[in-house]
Formats: sequence, structure tokens, C-alpha cells
Amino acid sequence: MDQFLQALINGIMLGAFYGAMMLGFSVIWGVMGVINLAHGEFIMLGAYTTWVLNKDFGWEPFYAIILVFPLMFIVGYIVQRVLINRVVDQPILVSLLVTFGLSIIIANAVKLAYSADPRITETEFSGAWNVGNVTIPVTKTIILGLALVIMASLWTFLNRTRTGKSIRAAAQNKQAARIVGIDINAIYALTFGICIAITGVAGTMISPTQAVHPFMGAPLTLRAFAITALAGLGSIPGALMGGMVLGIVESMIGIYVDRIGTNLAVVAAFVLLVVVLITRPQGLFGGLRPVEQAEQL
Amino acid sequence: MKVRRFHLFAMLLAFVLVAAACSDDESSDTEAPAATEAPAATDAPAATEAPAATEAPPATEAGFAGTIRLGAAVSETGRFAREGKDTRQGYITWADWVNEEYGGINVGGERYEVEIVMYDDEGDADRTASLVEQLINEDQVDFLLGPYSSGLTMSASAIAEQYGIIMVEGNGASESIFERGFENIFAVLTPAGNYTQSALKALADAGAESVVIAYEDTAFPTSVAEGAIRWAEEYGLELLGVETYPLEVTDVSAIMTKFRDLEPDIFVGGGHFNDALLFVRAAKELDFNPQGMVITVGPSNPSFVEEVGSDANFILGPTQWEGTMSWSDEWFGTSGDFYDRYTEKWGEAPTYQAAESAATPLALMVAIENAGTLDMDAVRQAMFDLDIETFYGPINFDETGKNVGKPMGSIQIQDGVINVVAPSEAAVAPLEYPAPPWEDK
Repeated sequence: MDQFLQALINGIMLGAFYGAMMLGFSVIWGVMGVINLAHGEFIMLGAYTTWVLNKDFGWEPFYAIILVFPLMFIVGYIVQRVLINRVVDQPILVSLLVTFGLSIIIANAVKLAYSADPRITETEFSGAWNVGNVTIPVTKTIILGLALVIMASLWTFLNRTRTGKSIRAAAQNKQAARIVGIDINAIYALTFGICIAITGVAGTMISPTQAVHPFMGAPLTLRAFAITALAGLGSIPGALMGGMVLGIVESMIGIYVDRIGTNLAVVAAFVLLVVVLITRPQGLFGGLRPVEQAEQL
Repeated sequence: MKVRRFHLFAMLLAFVLVAAACSDDESSDTEAPAATEAPAATDAPAATEAPAATEAPPATEAGFAGTIRLGAAVSETGRFAREGKDTRQGYITWADWVNEEYGGINVGGERYEVEIVMYDDEGDADRTASLVEQLINEDQVDFLLGPYSSGLTMSASAIAEQYGIIMVEGNGASESIFERGFENIFAVLTPAGNYTQSALKALADAGAESVVIAYEDTAFPTSVAEGAIRWAEEYGLELLGVETYPLEVTDVSAIMTKFRDLEPDIFVGGGHFNDALLFVRAAKELDFNPQGMVITVGPSNPSFVEEVGSDANFILGPTQWEGTMSWSDEWFGTSGDFYDRYTEKWGEAPTYQAAESAATPLALMVAIENAGTLDMDAVRQAMFDLDIETFYGPINFDETGKNVGKPMGSIQIQDGVINVVAPSEAAVAPLEYPAPPWEDK
């Protein structure tokens, strides 16, 4: 029973991170129809920024969010204006190649700047609380809390503010949005900026628990892809549920399958992806728009 | 319907692209050129600069009778970028020394300069194989040096064997490399099965009774783990659990949870540098406190202490070589001399990967000089006959090409300092055991 509870806690914490980590990927795809293959690299950029602030300036990694968020927003805004805006109306293959190229450039640029040494940040919020025989890691509890805050804020922003509603309108019907006077380009740049900012913060969040290195991005993009398919495009409750499903499945298999558990858990994520793609291409939870319509814009 | 089909295609394509980017045995046509262009622009010149720089001062009296070309595919990007850098720097340290100080390789009385042609294998086994073919066919290298990691060495050495060209390596320790009956592969490093021997012996002597093992399911960590299981049995340690995990693992909480509940005295974790960071953080946050932690790759690298700070204390790691060891030779001097030379040249201390990468071509050089000719069969025979001591340790190849002369050392991080603690003849400090809980480190 203790082991089950521990697996559940590990899974929930992993899942919450997954949920927050893939939000940016999912919303960009949902709003613009751009599959951002450089997603993992933006996480990596956020993680490196945090590492620099932590090692060189002695910042507490979690406080670095104050700087990482606006910085990554600016990066995202510029990348959209300069690069993504030119391919957003092109066939999806073009944006795939552009973002794939971007991922290689970012990874190698970071490698040149900081070498390929794996890094990790040092947080004061480490250690664990023991409740009975179950251990609750402090760092991951903070990550869980931050993930929930990020998801709740984004949901409120998209559903309660005028700008947020404009973003949703642009996602649902670009033509109609233009007609009612929404500046689509400005909305796209804003969306990209916010999404990249959130993605960078996800990098900050994992920097104390995971090795930070220039080539850490690809597996994260792959996970984001799987969870988006599972959750539905741009759906925030879906992101939370999708992340949790994946996190808990991985954790349970990891603990209960002997010897090869952790291996099998990674396979599980992609088995889920394939099953969902075949049976429910719009995702388990719907989203900003059904996948089929994404192309018609 | 058409639209939908196109979309599914696009999603599949995206999936394949991402999968290709993070898989090690997938080499898609789209990524290969893009990924090689970036490093080609950045560091390929650095790799070739070595010979170029030596051609510049032909002031070396009469000049050279010719050039011996060596070729290697070594990671510049990809998951072995860090270790690949050490490997490259090790090779170049040797090459610069030969050309600038030693005066070239002495082949039957004539001096030959050396040139090393290096390419980026991106950590991809297929790419390694095609680059080795390119080195043999297009660059026409005389001998080959190995890539970094056992998996890539498996791939590279198969091509070398096919063409009958000697490959000397110092970064592929997996036993399986030497179990294929090849005649052209020689490795200067201690094979993987013996990595944990001295650490487990020291821990068992200090009173440890049980062990758990987690390893990445690729060639080298598997060999290390199989060796660890063998040595655990030999030293009377009870094996409580064994777990494997995949390459590119991002979370090891499940493994650490299971192990914590087994309450072992010793944890052995085998993989690469990234995993070392993951293990330390996961163990700490799950309050898993083994009295001895042995981690295969990471602890012996000075940047490990830099990254995890005091959490690194009490962790043991195998080491092929340390600057404090007492080996010496007539070429580079003592282990300490090599340490100083390397530090001055690169502005960072040598890892053992760097030292073994300098020892690799050194062994080839001595064999060529002993043979007195560049004839492949004669040099191969000289390699088998080789029995020397170098700054890196004794080198003596058995009939499979493994170095059976060199023992493996163990280090322990003690108050932020990397000290050799085993075997006893090379130790500079006694083993600290048992380790206290995380909060007291």
C-alpha cells in the first residue's frame, strides 16, 4: 500500500510537470497550427538561463522565474515576428522544417556557449517530508504547485480576459476574428511569446531535478507531442489530465514491473500515443479546435 | 477527408523527425546534413588545426620523411558531446606532442609526422560506421582511432575489421567488443566488467553486506553491471535488486523508490554522466540513504562536484586513471606530468577519458616504432607483443585486443576532493564508510 501511494505521488508530481511543460507546445499548435519541434530547446534555454542565474549570481532557481518569464516572452515574441510569422500560412511541412532547423541551431549554439557538460541547479528547497512510510520530495512539491498555478493562470487568461478571448477567437476562426477587428499577427506574436515564456519557466522548474544539457530537448518535445495528442490541442484541463495519465502510468509501471519497469514506462507513453491517434485523433479531451479543422484555416 | 489524411501524414512526419532527433540508431536524411554542418563550421577546423599548426613550424630541423594519417569519428554533438570533447582533446594532446616535441614517429630510423582526421559522429552508430568508411576510402588513413562509447566502438570496429585496418581505442570498455574474434581492435583501457571490482571489494572489506544495481540497458553499462553482479557474488555481497533504464531517461524516481524499500548497504548505478546527476537528486529527494554509492561515470569528473556540491561527498566511482596515480613512462613522464601538460594546454584538468585518449595513439606509436615499418601485419604483431608501462598505466593486449595489464582504480569524493581509495597500492586516502544521511553530508 505504501508502495502504491509512493508510486501515485511520484506519478502525480511527474504528471503535473508534464502538463505544464507541454502547455506551450499545445497552445501554439492549437492557435496557429504550427507544430513547434524546437519546443524542447526552449525548455532547455529556460533551464540554462536559470542555471546561469543560480551558479553565477547565486539566485535561488525558483526565484529565477521572475526573470526567465519576461526574457523568454521576448525571445518568443521575436522568433514569431521574424520567423514563424512567415511560415504560419504555409503548408504544415514548412513550419515543421523551420522549427526543426531552429531546434538544431539553438542546441548547438548553447553547446558552443556553455559546452556539453551536464549541469544542474542547487535549490534550498530540497530534501523530503516523511508521512508514514511515504516520502514527499520538497522540490517536486514546489514544481507541482507552480505547474498548477501556471495552468490556472493560463486558463483564466484565455477564458476571462479580452486578449485571451481574442486568442481563442483567432484559433477558432481566423477569418471571422479578422472581421471583428482582431489583429491576427499581434495575437499570434503575443500567443507565441506567452507560450515560450511558460515553456522557459518549465525549464526553470526542472533545472534542480534533471541534468541540464544542450541536447536535452528532443525527448521532451517527443513527450509534449504525445501528451498533446492525448489531451487535445490547447486544452488546459486536458493538459493536466493528459500529463497525469502519462505520469502515473509511467510511475506505476516503473515501480510494479520488475527489472525493466523504467524501460517499459517510456514505451507506454508512445503506445498510448499510437492508440489515441488511431481511435481519437482529436485527443481525449477536445481542445481549442478539433485536429481535423486545424488544416482548414 | 483529403485534408485529414494530409494532417495525419504531417503529424507522423513530425513524430518521425523528433524520434530521429533523439534516437541513436535512426539516421534520417533530413537531419544528417543539417546536424553536421553546424559543427563542421565550428570545430572541424579545431580538430584539423593540430596538424596544420605543426606544419607551420617546419623549423623542426630537416622536416619529416612523411605523414602518418590517423582517422577517428568522435562525437562533437549529440549525447556524448562532453565525453567526445575529452576524447578529441586527448588525441590532439598526443598529436601535438609527437609533432612539436618528440620530433615525429620513428619508423625504421625515419621520422614521420602525424595527422589526425576527425569527424563528428553525432553519437549515432550508423553515422559512425559511414564516417569510418569515409576515413578509409576517401581520406585513406593509415590507422584508425576509436570513437567515444562502447556502442559506437562496436559499430566502428566492425568496419575497421572488414577492411583489415588496425583500430586502437581507449573509450569502448564493453566486453562484447572483444568477443567477436576481431583481429584489428585494441583497447588500452580496463574492460567494463572490472570497473566496480576495487570499489566493491573495498566496501565489502569495510562491512557492507548487500547491494542493488541499476544500469542503462546499452552495451557499456550492461557490461559494467554484469561485472558488478559477478564481483558482488565473489565478495559475498547479497544482491537485493537489479533494474534497467533506457537511454535518455528523464526520471529515475521509480527505481529509487523500489531500492529505498529494499534497504541495501550499497547502490551501484551504471550509465553516463547525466544519469549520475539524476541518481543523486532522486536519491536525495526520496530519502534513499545507501551507506555506499558507486556511480559508474561522473564522480571522477571534476565538474560532477561543481554541479551537485556537497551531495557528491562519499560517492565512489571507478576510474581508469587519475593524475595522482604513480605510473610513468619515457614519453609523457609521470601521470602527474601528463596532468600538468594537459591542464596547461586546455585550461581544464584531464578526465580519465582524456588521458586514455592520449594513451591510445601512444600505444600505436610504440608498436609502429617496435615494428620499424608501417606494414599492417607487422604493426598488428607488434601490438600483440606490446608490454609497456605508460603514464596511463601498463599496456599489454591479450589475443582479443583487451588490455589485461591495467588494474581499475576507485575514487571517492571526500569533502569535495576526488581521492583514490582503492586498490590499496594506489590509494591516497582511506575509504570513508558508511556515508551519513543526505542532510549531514
